[in-house]
Amino acid sequence: MRPVLPSRVSHYLLLLAGLTLGCLSIAGEPGPVIPKGKGDQCAAETDYMRRNHMDLIVHQRDDTVIRGIRDEPFSLVECVDCHVQRDAENKHIRVDEEGQFCAGCHSFVAAKIDCFSCHAAVPDTNQEESVDGNHWIPNKRLMALSSRFSAPLKRALGHDQNEPRTAKPD
Amino acid sequence: MTMIDHLRYATLKPGRLSYGVVLLVCIAAVVLGGYSALTMEHAGHIITGMNNHVVWGLPHVFAVSLIVAASGALNGASLASVFGLSYYKPIARLSVALAMSLLVGGLLVLVLDLGRPDRLIVAMTTYNFRSIFAWNIFLYTGFLFIGACYLWMMMERRFNHHIKAMGRVAFAWRIVLTTGTGSIFGFLVGRNALDSALLAPLFVALSLVMGTAALTLVLVMLDRWQATLLNDQLLGSLRRLFVWFLIALVYFSIVHHVTNLYATEHHSVERYTLMGQLSGMFWIGHIFVGVVLPLGVLLLPTMRLSNTGRLVISASLALLGGLALLYVVIIGSQSTPQMLFPGKTILASRFGDAGFPTYHPSVWEWGLGIGGLALAVLSCLLVLRVLPLLPESQRIENVSSE
Amino acid sequence: MIKMNLEPPNPTNSLAARRRFLQRLGLLSVAVAAPALLPALSGATITPVKGASNKHRWGLLIDTSKCVSGCDACVRGCHEEHGINGTGNDHTDAQWIRKIDLQDDLTAKQSSLPMMCQHCDSAPCVDVCPTGASFKRADGVVLVNKHTCIGCRYCVMACPYKARSFIHEPVSNQKSWAPRGQGTVESCTLCVHRIDAEGEQQPACAVACTDEAHSAILFGDLSDPQSDIAKAMNKRHAQEVRSDLELNTGVRYLNL
Repeated sequence: MRPVLPSRVSHYLLLLAGLTLGCLSIAGEPGPVIPKGKGDQCAAETDYMRRNHMDLIVHQRDDTVIRGIRDEPFSLVECVDCHVQRDAENKHIRVDEEGQFCAGCHSFVAAKIDCFSCHAAVPDTNQEESVDGNHWIPNKRLMALSSRFSAPLKRALGHDQNEPRTAKPD
Repeated sequence: MTMIDHLRYATLKPGRLSYGVVLLVCIAAVVLGGYSALTMEHAGHIITGMNNHVVWGLPHVFAVSLIVAASGALNGASLASVFGLSYYKPIARLSVALAMSLLVGGLLVLVLDLGRPDRLIVAMTTYNFRSIFAWNIFLYTGFLFIGACYLWMMMERRFNHHIKAMGRVAFAWRIVLTTGTGSIFGFLVGRNALDSALLAPLFVALSLVMGTAALTLVLVMLDRWQATLLNDQLLGSLRRLFVWFLIALVYFSIVHHVTNLYATEHHSVERYTLMGQLSGMFWIGHIFVGVVLPLGVLLLPTMRLSNTGRLVISASLALLGGLALLYVVIIGSQSTPQMLFPGKTILASRFGDAGFPTYHPSVWEWGLGIGGLALAVLSCLLVLRVLPLLPESQRIENVSSE
Repeated sequence: MIKMNLEPPNPTNSLAARRRFLQRLGLLSVAVAAPALLPALSGATITPVKGASNKHRWGLLIDTSKCVSGCDACVRGCHEEHGINGTGNDHTDAQWIRKIDLQDDLTAKQSSLPMMCQHCDSAPCVDVCPTGASFKRADGVVLVNKHTCIGCRYCVMACPYKARSFIHEPVSNQKSWAPRGQGTVESCTLCVHRIDAEGEQQPACAVACTDEAHSAILFGDLSDPQSDIAKAMNKRHAQEVRSDLELNTGVRYLNL
């Protein structure tokens, strides 16, 4: 029995049907809900961070580990410090747990991250206490430095707007 | 001038019950090996018998034996292409296929035993070229590539005149590969049991023994299924070569230990190996079962055994002996106390510097090691089923070889 | 490649050939040298080195005569600093520093000392690492870059001091300044997180030992002749453990 359509056309129709079904299946699904971090701004623009944080992390980690350069603003410790949430008992929740900062996006896009098998997923409680000369306290220094770095970064990215960014409710 | 092969080759035809049994056993072992690897990766090496003293355990013994046997199994082809023994030509293709399968099995065990096997891509793209380990990665993958080219030259008639050149490249490569494998241990200056240039040639000799043994056993097994592989000339040659290879192995072993006995700084290690906890594995495993018994079986004329029978028994014993030798080299070197303070005795240390670290392999390590071996056999059988590598008849037309 | 002239030798031909050869050699030299000259020509400035630099070489000087057998303050200090919680299995638990009690074979004199990564200048662990994860920082500290460590444990085999530990089980409650996880290898970092912080900070083991009033561990810059450690080593005879290996360790011992 002769096929109704040439095979090429029927293949294209099948592909189109599949894509449509696929789009329909994710259409209307809410995007990831990312808990808001502390302060008014991240170390860089949100859109820039969304697209480039993986490259920043990979570059920064070599700088930190191999070259011992630690005063860069894109430190993982800083990310955790700002973006960690507390639970009902006021204890920190790991950022790689479901719905938290990192896992929120990463489980949505199904890109597994491996950082927190080694890195601390909650801040050290000591960091909020007084400066003890024997412990490395990154956040106080870096909060001052991050504004120093984000300006040239914005220039480099072409984001030279001067208007204040409003905190968007997530 | 030409080495054109006038033999006809065919794929392996299953028909015997033993083929099905071997296949099923291998599949089961591979599945169990995979499960062991998954469990080890998930739970961590804490479930194994390895610890911070003995970091390389049974999986490494299996992996290194498979790799060493792989390089030696290429002998079958090298003897035909490089050394001009025409009665090895019918089994040359099989020899290359077996070598590649054994290497794949060994590498898989090695990779799955890594602490972070998910970082294999990192291992294949980031190199420190001062490390012999890094060089070995190239040597192993290069061996697979060269093996594939070698097979291609053999299988495609219009390229048959390239076989000799390819064979020489493959032979040289495999010697370098085995030297590199031995040097992984020989370059370790920090360990008294290993710091020796002799480990490289010892491993080359071990590859000759284990490779020939593996090839012999596979030949006999395949011959039971398709009686076109073995003939008296081949068997006689294998028997004679095997004797020389065993002598070479024990020569390097003897020189290694006698030299060590001359150096007082090595006495504690030698005492541990030759008279202490490792002596059973060394004397009974490596020397007696691995060298003396096979030599006896091969040489003594009084037994009512055919060439095939002698070869099968001595090959099996030699393989066990090879495993024992690798146990002594790999695990023994880690369970001997590290000499940190010459002239002093360590009384106590919470880490256990004072005593002899013990190692008891867990079921997961056995699973992983045997799984790798089974995968090597399985992949060899599958390749034989798909590609025409087995000779159809034993008649070789008399062509002159250079 | 220079093409050889296969015609019979003839004065005119060989002159021409020589001229061609010299021209090509000159061009080749310029082509090779140009990339090296370009930065100088463009007037590019050299950026100052941030982070670790080879102006310093960090090391430890341990006085075994001040070290007390039975005291493990340095071990506890280090392990607390880095969040190393043992499970009670001494052979699989990570150890960045350990106490060893010794007795001299001839005099029967007993002594005690801490053993940790010796931060060798020619570190065997750095040589053998296939991915280069085990590396030596510019200021002499030997570290494991756990991002590239594949957990092959070759460095553990290579270390003459058994200073490296392989993490056998999942780790939790890491300190933010000391990431550590299952499947990688680690060892004493000379507390680089403290060294890198502003002001020269002391490693946790040295601080703990001083707190115990033994002061057996002295940390400092071996390259600085004015530092305490350099002066102490000038005054007294410091030794390397296994000096026969000629590894030029950063950790030296007195009264060994």
